[in-house]
Amino acid sequence: MKVNFKVNGEEVSVEVKEYETLLETLRERLELTGAKEGCGLGACGACTVLLDGRPARSCLVLTPEVEGREVETIEGLKEGEELHPLQEAFIERGAVQCGFCTSGMLLTAKALLDSNPNPSREKIKEVISSNLCRCTGYDKIVEAIAEAARRLRKGQDVGMEKESH
Amino acid sequence: MQEYKSIGRSLPRTDALAKVTGEALYTADLKLPRMLCAKVLRSPYPHAKILHIDTSRALKLPGVKAVVTGFDGEGVKWGVFKSTQDHGMLPTDKVRYIGEDVAAVAAVDEETAMEALELIRVEYEPLPAVFDPEEAMSEGAPLIHNQYPNNINIHVHIEVGDVEKALKGAYLVREDTFRAAGEAYAMMEPYAVLAHYHNGYLDMWMPNAGPHVRAKALSNLLKIPLNRVRVRRVHIGGAFGGRSEVQPADFATALLSIKAERPVKLVLSREENAIATRQVHDMIATIKTAADRDGKIVAKVFKVIYDGGAYSSTGPIATSIPYYVYEETYRFPNVRYDGYRVFTNKGIRGMYGCHGRAFLAGNEQQLDMIAEELGIDPVEIRLRNGIGQGEETATRSKIISCGLQETIKEAAQRSKWHSKRKGMPRGRGIGMGCVAIMCGFPMGFRSGSSCYVKINDDGQVTIVTGVVDNGQGNESMMVQIASEVLGVPMEDINLVNADTEVTNLDPGAYSQAAAFVSGNAVKRACEEAKSKILSLASDKLGVAAEDLDLKDRMVISKSDPQKQIPLRWVVREAFFMGSPIVGTGAYMPKIDFQREWVKNPYGQMAGTFSFGTSVAEVEIDQETGQVRIPHFVAAHDCGNPINPMAVEGQLEGSIQQAGVATVMEENRWDGGLLLNPDLLEYKVPLACDMPEIETVIVRSYDPEGPFGAKEGGLTIRMNAHSAVACAVCNALGVPVKELPLTPDRVLKVIEEVKGK
Amino acid sequence: MILPPLQYRRARDLKEVWELYELYDGEVSFLAGGTDLLPRLKLRLERPKAVIDLKEIGELQEVSEDEKFLRIGSLINLFDLRGDERVRSLFPALLQSLEATSCETLQMRGTIGGNLLQDTRCLFYNQSEFWRRAKGFCLKMGGQICNATGGKECFSNYCSDNAPALVSLSAEVRLLSPQGERQIPLEKLYTGEGERPFALLPGEVLAEVLIPKGESKGGYEKLRMRGAIDYPLVGVAFSLRDGRGKLSVAGVGPKPLLYEVDELTEGGIEEAAERASHDARPVGNASLAPSYRRRMVKILAKRLMGGILKEAER
Repeated sequence: MKVNFKVNGEEVSVEVKEYETLLETLRERLELTGAKEGCGLGACGACTVLLDGRPARSCLVLTPEVEGREVETIEGLKEGEELHPLQEAFIERGAVQCGFCTSGMLLTAKALLDSNPNPSREKIKEVISSNLCRCTGYDKIVEAIAEAARRLRKGQDVGMEKESH
Repeated sequence: MQEYKSIGRSLPRTDALAKVTGEALYTADLKLPRMLCAKVLRSPYPHAKILHIDTSRALKLPGVKAVVTGFDGEGVKWGVFKSTQDHGMLPTDKVRYIGEDVAAVAAVDEETAMEALELIRVEYEPLPAVFDPEEAMSEGAPLIHNQYPNNINIHVHIEVGDVEKALKGAYLVREDTFRAAGEAYAMMEPYAVLAHYHNGYLDMWMPNAGPHVRAKALSNLLKIPLNRVRVRRVHIGGAFGGRSEVQPADFATALLSIKAERPVKLVLSREENAIATRQVHDMIATIKTAADRDGKIVAKVFKVIYDGGAYSSTGPIATSIPYYVYEETYRFPNVRYDGYRVFTNKGIRGMYGCHGRAFLAGNEQQLDMIAEELGIDPVEIRLRNGIGQGEETATRSKIISCGLQETIKEAAQRSKWHSKRKGMPRGRGIGMGCVAIMCGFPMGFRSGSSCYVKINDDGQVTIVTGVVDNGQGNESMMVQIASEVLGVPMEDINLVNADTEVTNLDPGAYSQAAAFVSGNAVKRACEEAKSKILSLASDKLGVAAEDLDLKDRMVISKSDPQKQIPLRWVVREAFFMGSPIVGTGAYMPKIDFQREWVKNPYGQMAGTFSFGTSVAEVEIDQETGQVRIPHFVAAHDCGNPINPMAVEGQLEGSIQQAGVATVMEENRWDGGLLLNPDLLEYKVPLACDMPEIETVIVRSYDPEGPFGAKEGGLTIRMNAHSAVACAVCNALGVPVKELPLTPDRVLKVIEEVKGK
Repeated sequence: MILPPLQYRRARDLKEVWELYELYDGEVSFLAGGTDLLPRLKLRLERPKAVIDLKEIGELQEVSEDEKFLRIGSLINLFDLRGDERVRSLFPALLQSLEATSCETLQMRGTIGGNLLQDTRCLFYNQSEFWRRAKGFCLKMGGQICNATGGKECFSNYCSDNAPALVSLSAEVRLLSPQGERQIPLEKLYTGEGERPFALLPGEVLAEVLIPKGESKGGYEKLRMRGAIDYPLVGVAFSLRDGRGKLSVAGVGPKPLLYEVDELTEGGIEEAAERASHDARPVGNASLAPSYRRRMVKILAKRLMGGILKEAER
């Protein structure tokens, strides 16, 4: 069946099986392999994408379910040429090791910062408890998200100042 | 200590950009034209004779391009030692565990491949199976391999000094038995293989911790010349010791590609990754410690049983590693060690980053109990017994640099040990664990690494090394070392690595060798190139080569910085002269190669040793037995750290994978069936389960290490469990003898103490 | 992990649901958040001809109030419900059970209806087809014996966090089917049989969860290994309203059990906790030892009720 939806801002129309997951469609048909299959059963979060701005396990979503909706993957996180502050902070703070959980972790964090620009350390820990990481012990991931939040707030302040002038 | 430009700085890793943008490709992400999809048929029996396999119906299914079984192979078996070559990858005689690979199919898509599996008929004759290692060792137990009587795969016996005499003369002797369930590696990336056989060459991609040893194994198994097996570099989603060896999946996928004459990709499910790649040894450790009145250990007697699962795997090494890392920590004048690795009808067990928790946590708790009895503080007893620089271990490894004492003191101070240990309220405890780890590991002629470097005509650098990165940051570390020596920024350096076609032998990333061995090779290769550059620039500038250095892409006079010339000019000059700037370098750790894992376990084990100390605090709910770990301190001596941020990442990950794991991680069994082959019932700790962490890098300088560096990956991974167990022991007043410390087990101990 | 072939149908209203139900001879699964259903389909625990996506049915997505009840449409997701001011201020047991459910990402996807109708779980059942074939099918898969006990009874556990909280709040559910409409107390939704845990009529859809209005004191205690994601090994909810307490326990048997606690004294609490612990039927089919889980029913129930009574006295 044909399913129409938006991926990273672009309209796509894909022919899929009715029993195909969004993860399969993204990886196999749209060649967006940034979302990973870590368990296939929703336990690990490596396949997390944003569905209408909210994090979702793409291994638990049927592609026909996303008809008319908006999907954001790790490949769409950059803003033009610029890395998203979360991406920058993950690099600078050493929050990436093997990288297999990174895409899902970043998108979970993005949804958090989009709705809560100043989360406490505890809140960050709570939210990223949706995603498993086997390498880092999460410490540098928490730090990186907190740092990105600071930069985003600063960026917004700067933006507001500009507007007021 | 010398000041460095790049070494010792917390720099972003070279692989991080690709990973945060989703561009890093892992094996399952790869696609080749005409690529087929593979699926594996697995044994539903823990132990059964294979009477007949009929693949004809599967082959007739439209879309199926190849079906293979063990009968399509060459009958070669693999094992890390000649005496342990017992694994044919696809069995032809019998299956030995549930999930064992029996046949494989390559088809145009996954659905067709799955349908084809249903059409393969295997006739089995079920055999009695054995799942408990003590049972497996006893007379009359079903024999899993004919060549190993009593199912004993390996017996390591170590005898040092006069144990009996020391026991008699001791002030205090204590004996306990500790048990620990095996863990899952649970690396985030499920195993995957892409094989492409074309023009007589076999190209392979898979998450691996040593491409060269993998290629060698495949060359043997498939009887293809080694130069025609090319294991390629790919991003790898974690290994932790579980990706060291050739896998049945490699063999099956390669055979399918050879047969189908097309690229074939096999991606394992999480369950398959758990049951049919590698698992961690369950363990029973009986430990007898004799001490004098001052708490000095005078003798140790060990009997350790390792549940090895169905095949040898890295067994010969795994059977004594927990002992070695412990004798590298403390002085044992008299020792008897008997380690038995025993076959059972369960999945194959391998080396693990946190290998040996029953043994290590057991020993450390016992040390605390002895200290308690003698009225000595646990910190003090560790300082008294801790090994030091210039000393030899029980089996005669010389310690050339040692920061153990500093890690103990530093961890004690940061954790406020002395004020906390005494005044802990009920249900709370604090505990310490120490361990050492070898750097540069005995693997015969594969123990060394070599590197080539070329300086390109724009002054940019290409380094070529066999070192592989499983996620820990090895690639970036090599670039950082080259950057330091050649005075160019990291972004000027291209790394070609872990590709057996172009790189040379390297011990791999499963043997604590990347920084110490591979790093040394890269350093030496770059130094050779540097000396050629300086010599040429010396002629150009009229300055003695000894007075020149490389900095910011320039050759600069140290005494007169005005005298300088861009690196790329020198390089171009070299091209003109017909002798481009290239360098080679190699490093072989100073190991006693007469030493042998089973027959002669004495002599220098490694080039040098890293040391670490963990301190955990615990809070135990007295009614539920639940253990919370609010605070954790890890202090690590890795010599001079090349990238402190990367080292911290290793320590933090270790606190999760070994420390917090101590209260929740275990593989649970129903006979030969793994009850938790998933990531829901297998408990990988989450962010919300993590303690507040303090990491301390105790900087020292190793005379052999590159820029004084030693390995930064383990120690905490092998003592965080000890710290947690010791803290629980401290809280409850008795040693906890069965790991993991799940609330049901802890509550049982609480009740036993109450009942006394 | 790929799904077996099946058809995907989106229903715009309940009439269409039932037409599709007829069309596929009842061999359908209803899809809401999919967090329980998709793993079940992937593991081949159910093999419907079609899944019927309910998510576009408007009447199932509203939260409203009438004189007696707060009415929660079954498609409301757990995360949004967690943010609802009325839930936050009136129903602490439910708020805490929502917070304790899995993790935020899955709360955003999972619906309250789906959460209440999640199938029972067992370490010997929630496994791949390969695993279950190697073991031999259990009662719940149509086999002859329970693989956890070797007996003739299914001991799978009902693991919703929110069901016990809602039961403690005297919640009711409105069920719609071609045969008509009915409204029953939530606890009556469960059969108590592990093989078929829900007392639903053919094609019946859970439309609304109704919670009697009015402030309550209460809470939810959950035994689990990790701080998130895990299903409850024991889930205990208690709500106190108009001087009467209700205790409900899940995770240790095929349905949530309900205990009226009229005597709000230490003795009364002890007695109710004891009864709950006695009725629990844990077997070795979850992460922790069954005897331990039984004990924890009592410990957690006492702890929870004691704390709430103390709070109520203040």
